[in-house]
Formats: sequence, structure tokens, C-alpha cells
Amino acid sequence: MSEVIEKTLIDTRAGRDVTFFDLYSIDQLTLPDIKLIFEIARSFRESKTAKLTLCKGNTQINCFFEPSTRTQASFDLSAKHLGMDTTNVGGSTSSAKKGESYIDTVETLDAYNVRLMVIRSSEAGVAHMVASTVRASVLNAGDGYHEHPTQGLLDALTILDELKTDSLEGKVVVIVGDILHSRVFGSLVRILKKLGATIRVAAPQTFLPAEVEKFGLTTYYNVEEALIGADVVYALRVQEERGATGFIPTLREYSKTFGISEKRLNLAKPGAILMHPGPVIRDIDIHSALVSRHPKSRILRQVENGMAVRKALIWLLVERYDKKVKPHAYL
Amino acid sequence: MGTILIKNGRLVDPKNNRDEVTNLLISDGKVAEIGCTDTTEADTVLDATGLIVAPGLIDLQVHFREPGREDKETIETGSRAAVKGGVTTAVAMPNSNPKADNQSVIEFVIKRARKVGLINIYPTGAITKGQAGDVLAEMRELKNSGAVAVTDDGVDVQDALLLRRAMEYAKTHDLLLMSHCETDSLTDGGVMHEGWVSTQLGLPGTPAVSEDLAVEKNLMLAKLTGARLHILHNSTKGAVTSIKAAKAQGFTNITAEVSVQHFALTDEACLGYNTDAKMYPPLRSREHVDAIIAAIKDGTIDALTTDHAPHIEPEKLLPFIDAAMGSTGLETSFAVMYTYLVQPGHISLADGLALMTHKPASIIRVKKGSLEVGADADIALFDLKEEWVVDPKRMESKGKNCVFKNLTLTGKAKHVIVGGELKMQNGAILQ
Repeated sequence: MSEVIEKTLIDTRAGRDVTFFDLYSIDQLTLPDIKLIFEIARSFRESKTAKLTLCKGNTQINCFFEPSTRTQASFDLSAKHLGMDTTNVGGSTSSAKKGESYIDTVETLDAYNVRLMVIRSSEAGVAHMVASTVRASVLNAGDGYHEHPTQGLLDALTILDELKTDSLEGKVVVIVGDILHSRVFGSLVRILKKLGATIRVAAPQTFLPAEVEKFGLTTYYNVEEALIGADVVYALRVQEERGATGFIPTLREYSKTFGISEKRLNLAKPGAILMHPGPVIRDIDIHSALVSRHPKSRILRQVENGMAVRKALIWLLVERYDKKVKPHAYL
Repeated sequence: MGTILIKNGRLVDPKNNRDEVTNLLISDGKVAEIGCTDTTEADTVLDATGLIVAPGLIDLQVHFREPGREDKETIETGSRAAVKGGVTTAVAMPNSNPKADNQSVIEFVIKRARKVGLINIYPTGAITKGQAGDVLAEMRELKNSGAVAVTDDGVDVQDALLLRRAMEYAKTHDLLLMSHCETDSLTDGGVMHEGWVSTQLGLPGTPAVSEDLAVEKNLMLAKLTGARLHILHNSTKGAVTSIKAAKAQGFTNITAEVSVQHFALTDEACLGYNTDAKMYPPLRSREHVDAIIAAIKDGTIDALTTDHAPHIEPEKLLPFIDAAMGSTGLETSFAVMYTYLVQPGHISLADGLALMTHKPASIIRVKKGSLEVGADADIALFDLKEEWVVDPKRMESKGKNCVFKNLTLTGKAKHVIVGGELKMQNGAILQ
């Protein structure tokens, strides 16, 4: 069975490679890169949890310097399904607690000859910094308020497939919530722009970063106005743990003003879909009834696509047909 | 102390409106004669053909880290960096450890500077005890032990009443007060200029208004108290607009400086999480940089400085948000001024040198920064034709954190004389 799946994947890939060795920002991706990742991801989506051998003999280290459950599980299972050995280095167990710098930690791990390092950090730019110092390929699993590229990719894949389209030209995506503290937004806005979507952002001014309109989007203080005619409604979480409270008077008032209710969702196009990167704060970001079982909700589909996208990226970075080796330069 | 003849150099002395090819004789630590003959006898003869002969540069804001952080810089390595850049006089900030909030630190710095004997170093004292912003430091003692100004340096006095009293007290003792203008509550953990670049990098930004508001507060209190106020390293359009207005109202007790990086570079230098570009005040956007250049051109700015801030490598090899703030600058300041102000035609060489010589000298009231007969023989000779790539590894400073790394600059100090003694010859420091 797995031989059949692997043959399908190899046929889908058709000898192609991506243009990058590390992925820390959506800015690095070309349109052919995105197309390739999506084509392979769709194939992986069909393979479910099949145990494959495409990346056997390679090691992936998940360095989650900031705690995570869902993203870490997704990266870890993805690698395991591809036949890799994995291990986790976490915040509380890491040498960082003993005063070791990130650079020294990752250079040590790099000396284990790992092929892939998945980096999550509470500070922006760590994956970028690590990528420039280690031989392993680096996948950014979220850096501060900057980016979360695999999330951006899985979101774009979900939108394309659920809207049953191969282009986002003319499609209206409305992003609602705490933009300022959101690395999900950082990657989503970049990939939507690359794919040609029309982007609207609805949030109180306190949740908007400076000059955010330079991404090529329109901002709204009135969520209803933003939602009219939307193809995609994308709600973000109010990030209490990142100090987002203080930017709004109360979660109660936020929910009343910006929370996605059935009534508000109905302002979007009839075929519109509802998305959220999770974890959802029910009845604050999105009304509880809309979260997972509502016909418009694609929240669990996003999670499923997440593993497919991560498998595609891992395979593309670990097994290169062009045999190119990452140029390695210590800082 | 021997005599030195500087032959056939282009003497540029902005204070005395002099710009001519001539000879200059130094004797007993002073300028003895200008325009002497080629055959004048001297112990040392420097052929300055093709070189600029200028007053040694005066830098109002450097961090020499001694006492306390000799791993980052010492008075000796900082002095060597200064000589390398043609800087013969430097004003040392008080944020050492212990802080210069008492006379013993001031006396220590003066003593060390004399022992090293490379350049003139004038220390500053703190405005408040421990730079903590609570209680005034003993300013009279600081002045009597040799401080040329008081400043809380990287930490602005936030409390307006305390700042008012500090200005009144400084005025009582005829002491210059220098302010680093920042409103802490607005900075709110910002690590770079707030704008499009900080948004792309996902980094918390410091809004320009944090500086604007503090500059206004300082100006208003200086107008009220009549204290001599010098505003350090201005970086925003709002700051220079306010200073220009205050000067236009006739307040001659107010002076202002710009650090050279703030007209040479924009916040785009931070792209790629370049921690060498992390500093306070932050590198600003183009709009602010253009306003700073305009303020230099229209005379609002009285001095150009470096805010020379050396750090050890591990403090910069960190996530941007955690990295230390500041860049070294003593070895690049003249070249940055020449490359980014004179070459593009914003100001003349004489005007640029004025901002780095006699104008800063008058702010701290020292008789330096000009080259008339009888003046202190602090002289720097620059080659305006030399183009060079900044390589921090080859710098004298212990700090290798230089924001100008890998940039090509024009203009370099070749010979430096301090107090009539040759300290650098053909780019080599003589001790």
C-alpha cells in the first residue's frame, strides 16, 4: 500500500525541487514553489497516516523554545509518517534555561547531523538567525509576532481547495482580530498577496501595527462593513498571553464589537467559509456554535491541511533531486 | 616636546574661516605659526600634500565603559579608536559601573585618561543618583572634580518636576545639562523605529512621538528655567522641528546634536534582524532622516557625534529583541559625515567640520576646535580620496558591533596630533 502512495507522490513531484533550503518567511517563496508544495500536500492529504519511507534515515529536531502542543504534534507526526527519527527540545528542558544562547544550542544540535530543525520562539527572527548558522535546513514554526509560514501555507491551501478555485484573484479575505500580536497574520497576509487576493482587515486601531496598509490591504473599524461580500472570514485569537488585553477594555466588549456571530457571518457571501488558526476562545473570537460543526467552518480542515503541508515541506527539504547543498556560513 | 612642521596641507579651520594650502608649525603643544616657509626647521616634518589639515574632532557623546565593563571597552582602547578616527577630544558618558554620580568616578576617568595620554577626555556626571531618576546627584561636586556636563544618558529623567529642579540646580552651578529625550511609557518595550519595517519584522516599535514629546518637555523646561540644555542624538522630524522653533524664539541656552548614523542610515538597516543596527534612539525611516539632514543644513544642529557604544559579541548574537543597543562609531564618524553629507552636496566640508570641532567645543566651553596661532595643537589630517570598506575586525575598539560594517566610506584620518604630540602617523598609532 505504501509503495503505491509513494509512487503517486513521486509522480506528483515529477522531479521538481523548491528554490529555498530554509523556510523562515513566506517572502522566500516563488509562485512555482507554492504550486509544488500544494500539489504534493494534496497527495499527502490522501495518504492520511500511512507510514512511508521517503525520508527514512534522516533526523528532525523540534526546537520549541516557546511551548506549543498542536504545532509541535503536527511537525512531529509529519516527520514520523515520512520515516524520520525525531526528538524534541523544549523551553523548560533546554540549556537556554542555564544561560546558553540560541546560537550555541542549535550549533550543538546541528553537530548531531540532523537534516531538519523546526524552530518555534517567542522572539521574532530566531528561525532566520538559526538558518544562517546551521547546516540543517530550518523550518520556522512561529517566531514572535513575525511569521508562521507553514500556517500561511496551510491556510492558503485550505482557501483554494474549499473555494474550489486555483486563483485568489477577485476573492475577498477578511481577517478579523488581533493583527498586531499575530504571526499567523504575518504569513497569511504575505501569501494571500502573492496569490492575488483582496485583503480586508477588521480590528480596533490598537490591534493594528504601524503602516499595516503597506501590505496592500484595506483596514476597517466596522466588522460588518468589512464582512459584506467576503469569500473567506478569518478570525484571529485575542492573545491574552501576549499582553493583548490593555489594548481593548474587556473581552466582553471585544466580543460584542468584533466577535464572529452567525448574524455577522451571514453578511459574507453565501458560499463563504470561516477559518481560525486555533486555539479558539469560544464566544470571544467566534461564537461557540460556529467553531467546528457549523457548515461554513473549515477550522478542522485547516488542521488536516497543516500536516499535509508540513509533510510536503519536509520531503522537499530533506530529499533534493537537484542534490544542491545548503550554502553554509557561520555568523 | 619637539616641534612639528605640517607642510603643504589644505588647512580647513571653520572657526577662523580659513581654507588654504599652507604650512603650519607646532611648538610647545600649540600652533606656533601658520604660513611659515617650506624651509622652517622642525624636529618632525609631515608632508601633508593632498591632505586636509583640520582641528582634531570633538565628540560630545562616547561610552568608554571604564570603570566596570572593561570587557567592552577601556579608556585606552576607546582612546585608540578615537585617534584612529581623527577624534582628539571625547566627552565620556556617565553610565559606567559604578555610575559617575560622584566625584571619585569623575576623578578616576580623568586620571586614567591622562595616564593613557592619547586624547583629551572630558567626563560627564549623572543628573540623578545612580541615574535612577529619583534624587539629584551632587552636581557641584561633579563640576568641581571636572565634569563638563550632567546627563542621565540612556535613561531620560521621566519625572517633569525632578527635571525642572535638575535644570534649576544645574543653572545655579552654571553646568550644562544633556538630555537623552525619550518618553518611557510610549517606548513601551520598543526595540526599533515604529513603522513599516518594524511591522514587516514583527518587532515592537518605538514611535517617533516618544522622542518628540520628551524633546518638547525638555525645551519647555529649559525655556522656563534658563538652564543650558543640550539635546543628545536627535533622530526625529518632530524633535528638530521643535528645536528649530525654540531657537527661532531666541533661546540661546539650547543646543542640539545628531549622531552620524541618524542621517546616514534608515530603519531598513534592521532588515534581516541585523542586531548591529539596533540602537537608541533607533534608526528612523526616510522621512525622519530627510528632516535630520534638513536640520543640519539649516543650522538647527550644533554638533555631530557618534554615541560610540561598544558591546561584546554575545550581546549582539541574540534575537533582535534581546540584543544590546548601540554601535561603535569613533573610527568612522568623519568618513560617514564626509560620505553622507559632503559628497552628496548637502553641506560643505567646512560646515561639516565645524559641527565636529569648534561648535561642540563651545557647547562644553573648552578652548579647542580651531587652529589659530596659540591654539592647542590638536590636529587631524584626513585623506579625502581614500575609499575604504568598514571592517570591524580591523578596528581599535574592543566593540566589533559597527552598524557601518561592510559599507564603503570615503575619507580617512592619516596623521593625528594631540597637544602637540604626534599620536598617529600614516594610519599607525604611535604607542
